Amino acid sequence: MRLEMGTFPVTDIAFGRTTRYDAGRLTVDRDAVLAAVRQDSRIASAELEIARPGESARIWPVRDVIEPRIKVEGVGVCYPGICGREIATVGEGRTHRLAGMGVVEVSSVNWHDAGGDFVETYLDMSGPYGEMYPYQKLVNLCLVVEPDSTLNEEVKNYAVHKAALTVSDQLGEAVRSLTPPEREVFELTPVDPSLPRVVYIWCVHSPQAMSGSPTAFCTATYGLTQLTPPWYLHPNEILDGALTGPYRTAFAMSWTVANNPLFLDLYRRHGRDWNFLGVISLRTEWTTQTEKQLMANQTAKLAKQLGAQGAVVTWDAGGNEFIEVVRSIQACERLGIKTVFLTSEDDATDGAPTMLEPLPEADAIVSTSFFKNVTLAVPEAPAVSRVIGLPTKIVRRGSTIGLHGGVDGATLPTSGPLPPPWRYDDHYGFGSLSCRE
Amino acid sequence: MSGQLRVVHYVNQFFGGIGGEDQAHVGVAAKAGAVGPGRALEKALGDGARVEATLIGGDNFVNERGEEASRAIAAELARLEPDVLVAGPAFGSGRYGLACALVCKVAQAQRVPAITAMHPENPGASAARRGIYIVPTGSSTTSMQAALDALAPLARRLGRGEALGSAEVEGYMPRGARRVHDRGRPGYQRALDMLLDKLHGRPYRSEVPYAAPERVSPAPPIADLSRARIAMVTTGGLVRKGNPDKQVSANAVRYHRHAVAELESLSPQEWEAYHAGYFNHIVNSNPNYILPLSFLRDLERQGKIGRVHEHIYALPGVSTPVAVSVGHGRSIAADLKASGVDGALLVAT
Repeated sequence: MRLEMGTFPVTDIAFGRTTRYDAGRLTVDRDAVLAAVRQDSRIASAELEIARPGESARIWPVRDVIEPRIKVEGVGVCYPGICGREIATVGEGRTHRLAGMGVVEVSSVNWHDAGGDFVETYLDMSGPYGEMYPYQKLVNLCLVVEPDSTLNEEVKNYAVHKAALTVSDQLGEAVRSLTPPEREVFELTPVDPSLPRVVYIWCVHSPQAMSGSPTAFCTATYGLTQLTPPWYLHPNEILDGALTGPYRTAFAMSWTVANNPLFLDLYRRHGRDWNFLGVISLRTEWTTQTEKQLMANQTAKLAKQLGAQGAVVTWDAGGNEFIEVVRSIQACERLGIKTVFLTSEDDATDGAPTMLEPLPEADAIVSTSFFKNVTLAVPEAPAVSRVIGLPTKIVRRGSTIGLHGGVDGATLPTSGPLPPPWRYDDHYGFGSLSCRE
Repeated sequence: MSGQLRVVHYVNQFFGGIGGEDQAHVGVAAKAGAVGPGRALEKALGDGARVEATLIGGDNFVNERGEEASRAIAAELARLEPDVLVAGPAFGSGRYGLACALVCKVAQAQRVPAITAMHPENPGASAARRGIYIVPTGSSTTSMQAALDALAPLARRLGRGEALGSAEVEGYMPRGARRVHDRGRPGYQRALDMLLDKLHGRPYRSEVPYAAPERVSPAPPIADLSRARIAMVTTGGLVRKGNPDKQVSANAVRYHRHAVAELESLSPQEWEAYHAGYFNHIVNSNPNYILPLSFLRDLERQGKIGRVHEHIYALPGVSTPVAVSVGHGRSIAADLKASGVDGALLVAT
């Protein structure tokens, strides 16, 4: 499987008469793009706004950030399967991407109605809170979109994410026939057989047990988010967006999945430092201990059958899911596969262990610091002069406790000082923050 | 600091040369100079340090009569005025490890710096590591020399009044005080570097060292269920319909107590779930899924259990820090104990 990635760096976005790319400047025909979005009768309202790095601007509520990618040669579409898109196996041919920008999905649509799980992410384009995330460095085209209020939550989720992908596709079309300023070829070429063989065990949360929905939101595999046994993915499939979707934490939204630095560096060092065998994607939040152990066993078995001698493991979720993740590490180690685990840490108050289930086999852990903004002592984000999206924000649970005080469920103006969302959680090691004792 | 470093060494009855398990009851005694492993310790400490005295305690005595043992050790330390106390190494021996941890705490309470060494899974390390310096060792005495070599330089520095650096740098076991630390290199690079080191058999250091979880000993079984008072506790986020008590959906800072003495079962007209970690609709259609009151009432009628306790306890068990959870658990348990409850059914989700 050979994929050529053509990169078009975006340094600024402006609205204009036609959607086109010229030397880093992306011009967007706002009316034409919105007309494409509004073709879906489930969309009640849609607007586009531009947010630039360094601006005193806040975007709320943020469900996803998407990097526009478009398939130029080869079968299928980028971001396959999700919201009814084609499911042809991707990863071959040529793909063009608009780098340095994001399409931000801004909507009040909640994840599901099955219990107290809310969209909490907002993004700032300047200031210390904004700087904690990679999105603050991007030129962002924000789609503020609301669906028909009479639809159920699952259909609302589907409609607004489809709308954001429509915007992404419209922008991608602008560079379809252009010559990319940067090109890179990705291929798992045969390498020196003495190099160690490694896999990436990329654990992704399934919302199925929480929401009852097999598809509607979360990082999807060809559109599926349901609890499935571990998948083998060629890394080129991931470059073409086979793993993608809106997410509850900023660091597992589509843009961060597509630009996962651990994944890209692992791939780029294929043939030099190791023989990269590919990605095992494990769905997490299984319900019973038996299921969790079974998935761990099967993940390790698959790695072993692929010939892996080493594995790097990441995940993107909370507590429950930790069990199948850490048990997979244990199962790999017991089969002689050397693992490294990149993870955030839980609350260490009163000397509590920061790994929910500490296992001696997990003996090579890289920490991306505490996962909660409160534990990290991240201060309130200061007031901003411009808001993209909703004028008010309800402040909930973790963010209201301890450091930030206040009442759970209080409604605050979005433009004023705001507590950060309760979770930070750098899932893929973008930053250098860690913990130490 | 000038002059000889004055060290007091604590060992158990076995290493103190008194005897084995049959002598584990002996009280605390002091002997002048180094005894048993203390001689090797003195050698490892090097010039300018001397084991002035050895305190010897029976493992059973120190563990079972902790207050008495603490007073005796405190009195000896007040008399000896050491610069530093070294306890152990205790390796994998559980009671010895707990005794060493206790002795270190007694010393620190008297402002005598203290350090011990034991296997990371020794209960002395897993249960009592907070606030004391413990050097990790192997599980048996075959690692004695390595343990003493690791321990001695730290003991010398503590004895001279130096503050030790972080656990990660100095090599002692984490004491339960993790802080945010910027490592200056992105996490992904550190992870892939560590992978390469591990693959090639080169040394690497986990950024989150293994710490064995605390073990909780279960209460003995209920002798006669037919006379027992049984309570129910759920982490399923059970609330009265409409959530009038304003329970949060996650990260609980408190738990809620509800009276059920008058109720036969939980009705979906009166109860529902509010919990951010599972599909609440199932419980909303039948709240007895997360608190099976109706079934306990059946057992009560059949005489299989004595009676159902009049209060239930509920909170959403999701995203709560361990320290907060421990607090909730202790408080609920104390409340149940005070109400004469014999057993509790804990319903998770």
